[in-house]
Amino acid sequence: MIRIAAVGDIHLDDGARGRLRPALEHLPNHADVLLLAGDLTRHGTLDQAHAVADEFADLAVPVVAVLGNHDYHADQQDAITALLREHGITVLEGDGVVLEFGGERLGIAGVKGFGGGFAGKCGSDFGEPEMKAFIRHTKAIAAGLGDALAALDCDQRVALTHYAPVNDTLRGEPPEIFPFLGSYLLAEAIDHVGADLAVHGHAHLGTEHGITPGGVRVRNVAQPVIRKAYAVYCLDGSDTVSPDTAAGEMGRPGGRITAHSGTRGSH
Amino acid sequence: MTHDAAKHDAAKHDAPQYAAMRLQQALAEDPRTAELGIKVTVRPGEVFLRGEVMTEERRDRLAEVVAEHAPDLRIHNEVRLADCAEPTGEETLR
Repeated sequence: MIRIAAVGDIHLDDGARGRLRPALEHLPNHADVLLLAGDLTRHGTLDQAHAVADEFADLAVPVVAVLGNHDYHADQQDAITALLREHGITVLEGDGVVLEFGGERLGIAGVKGFGGGFAGKCGSDFGEPEMKAFIRHTKAIAAGLGDALAALDCDQRVALTHYAPVNDTLRGEPPEIFPFLGSYLLAEAIDHVGADLAVHGHAHLGTEHGITPGGVRVRNVAQPVIRKAYAVYCLDGSDTVSPDTAAGEMGRPGGRITAHSGTRGSH
Repeated sequence: MTHDAAKHDAAKHDAPQYAAMRLQQALAEDPRTAELGIKVTVRPGEVFLRGEVMTEERRDRLAEVVAEHAPDLRIHNEVRLADCAEPTGEETLR
């Protein structure tokens, strides 16, 4: 059993220093690893990144992060990434990391993600250069997520993004802004490889629980959604589905078993 | 454009929907706030702010920026403070 703590959209700055620290002191009692789903700073300055680095310094568990749109606002994303890495935080963008806990290997692939919308209600790579650039940015990021997930050699696989891969977890947000909150291309990349969990943030008014078309569980861990310092998800690897069992349930298109057995099959 | 026409346009421009959008954009773009998750609702003479922020100072700054852009509106600041408590349970995914 691997225990994953996760939170996004903490928007730290000097004035918010220490807000999460009391709950983080007991983190090892709850989890083996902490995922940060982007929007770590208020608007992307290096000062604010220092507050983030200090908030998550010297924790007894590894910290793995992606950046969010707020962390890009001041064009300091590269410096923020370097600073957080110097402070021991693994920052992912189109790559992954494998951590081992008691002989079980947890693989995490991460990207910021981007918008575009969801099947039937999304933008296309067509028309003005601005529109094409918008959708192509999402396509490139989704491809990077797919490659990073596929490259993980692990027992349990997690996709970490800031933007949402599905619209289930956006319920509560105005539907008109869904195309700015995520893209189905992220879910497609996740389903193509298979994963045990997808974690994202960004949608403050959304809901925690969702599922991809391929049956991967999605959790929106934006801090205003989970209403605590971090949420904890335990991945129980003991119920490994044998190929025979999975084959017996393949009749359910898009069912979880199908996606799950795909994960196991490749590793 | 005649003086009357300009007045007419200004009245349309001041529809509550535009006022709410201008305030929402101000809260997003003003570096003092940089908040994209605040819902702004304008009613005659009043503005309601809803959402969640990390600190009391940030909640106060929201009202400050709104007051600058809409000095004639009475502000109802219903933004709540983030709850950063330690979790009391976990979810097991099987």
